Amino acid sequence: MGGKVSCTLGEVKNRADLIIYWGGNPAECHPRHFTKYTLTQKGRYIPNGRKDRTMVLVDIRETPSAKAADIFLQVRPAKDFEVITVLRALIKGHAVDPELAAETGLSMEQLQDLADRMKKARFGVLFFGMGLSMTRGKHMNSAALLTLAAELNAYTKFVAMPMRGHGNVTGGDVIMRWTTGYPFGVSLSRGYPRFNPGEFSTIDLLIRGDCDAALILGADPGATMPQPAIDHLARIPTIVLDPKVTHTSRLARVHFTTAATGISAPGTVYRMDEIPLPLRPALKSPYPTDEEIVHRIYQAVAAKPPLPPAVMLSQATM
Amino acid sequence: MSKTIFTLKERPHVPLETEVLSPDVIASLKHAEVEALPVFLGKRQYRLADFFAIEGDGSEELEIHGDVGRVKWIGRAMTRGRITIHGDAGMHLGAHMKGGTIEVQGNASDWIGAEMKGGLIRVAGSAGGQVGAAYRGSTSGMSGGTILVGGSAGLELGMRMRRGTIVVQGVVRDFAGLQMKGGTIVLLSGAEVRTGAWMVRGTIVSFTPLRLLPTFSYACTCNPIFLRLYARHLQTLGVSFPSAPEAGFYRRYTGDGAVPGKGEILIWHPQQ
Repeated sequence: MGGKVSCTLGEVKNRADLIIYWGGNPAECHPRHFTKYTLTQKGRYIPNGRKDRTMVLVDIRETPSAKAADIFLQVRPAKDFEVITVLRALIKGHAVDPELAAETGLSMEQLQDLADRMKKARFGVLFFGMGLSMTRGKHMNSAALLTLAAELNAYTKFVAMPMRGHGNVTGGDVIMRWTTGYPFGVSLSRGYPRFNPGEFSTIDLLIRGDCDAALILGADPGATMPQPAIDHLARIPTIVLDPKVTHTSRLARVHFTTAATGISAPGTVYRMDEIPLPLRPALKSPYPTDEEIVHRIYQAVAAKPPLPPAVMLSQATM
Repeated sequence: MSKTIFTLKERPHVPLETEVLSPDVIASLKHAEVEALPVFLGKRQYRLADFFAIEGDGSEELEIHGDVGRVKWIGRAMTRGRITIHGDAGMHLGAHMKGGTIEVQGNASDWIGAEMKGGLIRVAGSAGGQVGAAYRGSTSGMSGGTILVGGSAGLELGMRMRRGTIVVQGVVRDFAGLQMKGGTIVLLSGAEVRTGAWMVRGTIVSFTPLRLLPTFSYACTCNPIFLRLYARHLQTLGVSFPSAPEAGFYRRYTGDGAVPGKGEILIWHPQQ
């Protein structure tokens, strides 16, 4: 396992003939996805647009996206990992227990049909959302889907791409990757990057109460994280940088109002396929940008006299 | 034999990293040298004596008192000696260890015995996730040694383990033996779901019925001799199988077909 097979949305538009959305509701959450990239557009190798493409939706309930789908597969909640594992076995022609497979909510015929379609596709794409990555199994569900996409490349071209939610989360991952080598869950406390999701990832740190300060940049964990994590954010000094007052700002010690990037501040945003797009501001803002505030905090911290080395400090008190 | 006794003065407010708490580091040191050993609280370096009251010179037997649930990396890469923890233990306990014994009287956190090569870890209470597992991005987890857990255990028990034995008395959460490539996991009270997911080789023995993945297939009913030898060996460590080998048989399942793998899951089936 390891590695990620990906492509740009331009390639999806020009080449993809099998589009699978897994655990997401693009019709409501990414409304321009269908029309700009994945379904209705004609592409260089997809001359007839929608007619040349097959769209499969896999989800636990029939969302408005199901109307756009050629095939809708309803899996039982928290059975995605089992379905993907069965598909991995079927594409290799290995035996699957039909009774246990039926517990996923899909019949063997449906699973076999999907596996066949995946193998026969000229260019397949798996888009996965939080219905997959945030349900029982979490990162292993995503790992399963990414591995499935990687393994399908023994037969045809297949890629997997997460459907990112909030503004520029992809950018956060990309920058962490080229500065530390890891996308998230990185600790720099020992002077070098250490990667261990579960130990250093935000929610886990907050739930265990392992941090004594927090700087929140362009996110609203106070609205989305589990309650114990929010409680800890309220206990410790939390600093929020956001263009508007959020749930997190209300429990923070300090809130900085910043200029909205893309509207009143310039910057670079990474699209979900990791393409950097420069943003030019249309308006002026009286507020400073995120970058300016972080830079000024950094300067103020650097200007403070350094703490004496801890070893000497403790000897002095003995 | 002399002992070195460490008593935690106060639970640290952020995790403390103390990979120096290992017989290999401490055995040859005098009392003052042990006190001056470096530990890390967040990014700051402190002396071991800032957090622990230390009695005695360095020795091969360490006794730790107090709630060290937030103290990480105790016994990292130790090769000999003994560590006894009277209380809860923090993350990465005995990670990369090659020999010696660690005994925890309370509960242990995540990543205990991760990538260990030998030795024995015995936890009286429950353990967290990733027991004996491989670190993220690493190809194999524990490659030898024994981990005994008295209570339950968390997610991804024995993830990518290559050799060695893990025995858990309580119920284990999801993904026990994930991507396992060897070794043995004994589940005395079974596990939740996705046991043995993506396993390539290795053995998982369960004395409670398991909900298997659809990619496992039934192979046969058997009563393997090697399990009797295992039972006898584990008895010397104070673990006994709940049933005598004559009282039933094992249903053997192979998988995981998704990988495809030759792992086995043996589920105990008492004779009617």
